[in-house]
Amino acid sequence: MLALLGGSASVGLAGCSALLSEDEEEEEETDFETTEHAEKAQDAWERIVDNPGPDAEDTRTEAYIEIEEAARDDMVMLPMYHSKGEFFWYDNVDLPRVGALGRHHVKHNRTEVEGDSELNLISASFDELDPIMSTDTASGEVIVQLYDTLTNYPAGVAEVENQLLESFETSDDGQTWTFTLKDGIQFHDGTDLTADDVKYSFRRLAESEFSERSNFVTSSTSGLGIDHETTDDGGIVPDSLAIDVVDELTVEITLQEPNPAVLDVLTHTGFSIVPEGIVGDVEGYDGEVSHDEFRTEMANGTGPFEYDEFSPGESVRLVRNDDFYGTVASVESIHWEINEDPESKFTYAMEKNADFFEIPTSYYDADLIDAETDDNGREFGTYGEFENGETTNYLAVPELGTYYFAFNVTNVPAPVRKAVAYVTNHEEFVNDILQNRGFEAFSFTPPAMWPTGRDGYQDWVDEWPYGVNEMDRDGATEVLEEAGFTEDDPFEMEATVYKTSPAFQDMADELARRLSGVGIELDTTTTEFSTLQDRGEDGDLEMYSLGWIWSWPDVAYGHFGFEPKNTDTSKMPNEATGYYLDWQANLEDES
Amino acid sequence: MSRWRYFFKRLLLSVPVLFLVMTFIFVLLRMGPVDPVAARLGPEASGAEAERMRERLGLNDPLWEQYLDFVTNFLTLDLGKSWVIYGDMEVTRVISFAGPPTLWLGFWAILLPLFIGIPLGFYAGLRPNSGGDYIASVGGILWQAMPNFWLSIILLATLRKTKGGGWFGFDWYTFGPDIRSITGTPELAFVTANGIDWGTLASDIKLILPPALVLGSASMAAELRIGRTAILETINSNYVETAKAKGLTNRVIIWKHVFRNALIPLVPVITNEAFLLIGGSVIVEYLFNINGLGKIFFQATVQGDLPLAGALLFIFTVVIILLNILQDLLYTIIDPRVGYER
Repeated sequence: MLALLGGSASVGLAGCSALLSEDEEEEEETDFETTEHAEKAQDAWERIVDNPGPDAEDTRTEAYIEIEEAARDDMVMLPMYHSKGEFFWYDNVDLPRVGALGRHHVKHNRTEVEGDSELNLISASFDELDPIMSTDTASGEVIVQLYDTLTNYPAGVAEVENQLLESFETSDDGQTWTFTLKDGIQFHDGTDLTADDVKYSFRRLAESEFSERSNFVTSSTSGLGIDHETTDDGGIVPDSLAIDVVDELTVEITLQEPNPAVLDVLTHTGFSIVPEGIVGDVEGYDGEVSHDEFRTEMANGTGPFEYDEFSPGESVRLVRNDDFYGTVASVESIHWEINEDPESKFTYAMEKNADFFEIPTSYYDADLIDAETDDNGREFGTYGEFENGETTNYLAVPELGTYYFAFNVTNVPAPVRKAVAYVTNHEEFVNDILQNRGFEAFSFTPPAMWPTGRDGYQDWVDEWPYGVNEMDRDGATEVLEEAGFTEDDPFEMEATVYKTSPAFQDMADELARRLSGVGIELDTTTTEFSTLQDRGEDGDLEMYSLGWIWSWPDVAYGHFGFEPKNTDTSKMPNEATGYYLDWQANLEDES
Repeated sequence: MSRWRYFFKRLLLSVPVLFLVMTFIFVLLRMGPVDPVAARLGPEASGAEAERMRERLGLNDPLWEQYLDFVTNFLTLDLGKSWVIYGDMEVTRVISFAGPPTLWLGFWAILLPLFIGIPLGFYAGLRPNSGGDYIASVGGILWQAMPNFWLSIILLATLRKTKGGGWFGFDWYTFGPDIRSITGTPELAFVTANGIDWGTLASDIKLILPPALVLGSASMAAELRIGRTAILETINSNYVETAKAKGLTNRVIIWKHVFRNALIPLVPVITNEAFLLIGGSVIVEYLFNINGLGKIFFQATVQGDLPLAGALLFIFTVVIILLNILQDLLYTIIDPRVGYER
């Protein structure tokens, strides 16, 4: 989900053959002595992988906490804030409260608009309606109206429910799942949904050259982990996925190992069910339409809305599916205006052209909020009045996203990393720089998913060793002095932040001010998102900013990136998929 | 006909420029920091897939062969495909839907200043140091000083507040043809099978006026100031004295002699403004959410969509070269002195 953070659908430009010079000058002395923290994280991750069963939940919980502890105590990553989704909608609109997984899970068949037959929304730019290509929330929001998945999170609330599924069964060893589909569901063109469609859709996600997320099918830690055969170059042997069509409405999948997150993973738009054989991009099918056509010029799903028109860069319109098997929508159509500029988006919303919208920070005033917090930590109430005299509904949702500063440990010694954490005051950052449009983060895993619950999370915050919401310059000076960095002989470090997040630029500048005179000279560089990724994969970042958004609330689906062996940048992007930490350098058998 | 010889010499000079630009784009695409295969496949691609794609894109051919292919493709207007923004879409198709709005914007951004800036400048020049002159000149300087992005934001904020009747009951949305929003892309579907659809045309014009006014604001001021100076210079020249002495009426002198000569220094100003429009359209299109070439060029550069950015760069170059040729042609027609510089 990294790609989400680069603004719109950015593609990670990998493989840019930047040669790492072997004779890099050793400017500062970095000792790669092994730390017990890296070992601890490696052990913990291996325990998570070895204990996938439903009865081993406590073991996994313990290991999750250990990974968080290791990352904290070794300060390889400094979480800054968790994202806050804020939504505004006019009084004549009635829509379900969005949950922590975000607005791109909301199916609009229950949305009602008084006095208008069309629901009007604003979307960022995107270029695909093909579920297996969608990695950004903008296209996800449209695809979820057109196509259904086996399970879903209604309105983005993190509780899995059956969508196309009637029921499911799990074998005793937890490796075979049998799914039974609801009877009588039809695609938009009137054909019946069958188990064959499910198999074909999963095969496309795994095997199609257009798939952006084939690991969701094949990988156990960041997906389902369906059993399959691999070719010599790491691809999948066509039609080797262990998916068995039992009868018209029953399909059986066999996993490589038990996986507690199966039903959660299946909610992802990549697993949307399309009619069998619609595109010829997997072996054994010629395809009814070309991929280009399927990508932008048509859609044929089981969802509550049907394709009407799509002008890339301009707008999308869908019309109601009157034969929808669930609650048929009350609005006749949905229209998305594609608009990415804050000023014109706000103009569009103030003209009342958008029923449901978000507002740019330049027009945001926290004093206008009148809201109360519900059981899920969401704030619900009103906001206003706006410049057009309207007061709207207001909803703030703690979303499952974490934004952080992280360090490549081979380029930045531990005392320096800790000093940065000491001078950080989360509360000030969130209030001053984000204008309160975020939540303080003391852990990588968001509080809503914390393995030991809300109380456990509170204990975690209380134990934060670098000063909770205070700037501790003395603590920073102390660790730096021990390491020999002083005001006169500072450690020089570069913080790389990406262009689309001005907040991180301000944060890095503020940190630079706080660290000057303590023994660290911090310079901020702003790059394109893709450049930051490239440099991360080349291992030449020092301190950098990034974010992670969970597609489903599974702690492992974020923690896999901390496994020290998976943070080896020399093996990225193919064999290693973790964060750009090079933490393996601190492991005993690696250093 | 040395005037025409001069013109053709200028025409021939644009050929090497075109090739230089194409070479530059080629080098950028093939030897730049972004690997085309990696950009298209993303980070999850396997080595074999990448190799297949290399072969398919002809990246394994010798470089000179690739260069020849590239140049012939560009010259035959086969501009390749977008990688990122409109994944795998032909650039020509992107231009087919994004080109018209940009042309529409550019057309009005040139036209508005012409019909506001030049008359005002001539008016000021004919009444030097009067109250009207001062107002026009100061107004011109103010217009030129206001940056486009700021002017856009102010216009958006002001116009949207008139919805439902703002000051004095003025409502921009219902003034003339109704529009839903002051942002967005004009439809440009006013030429229909049964003639021109005046309603659509009117709302398309209304939609483009604010951004065109912003985009043309700087040129309007420049044309005003240079027009004023040109008129003053011409009016005080000897042949006007002669004409006056011969007893010609003021009207004949001004309309027949002064205006034509005053237009000469304005030609490069007007064409140069047209170059600026290409750069300016990027920010204005973005702020008014017009899905045109400027906005797409901006997205392409930001998101590393090199083929799309390169192809658009090529198109912009061609446009600029054409504008240059047009400028030379206008010179040749208007100014009899062209080509006689020895």
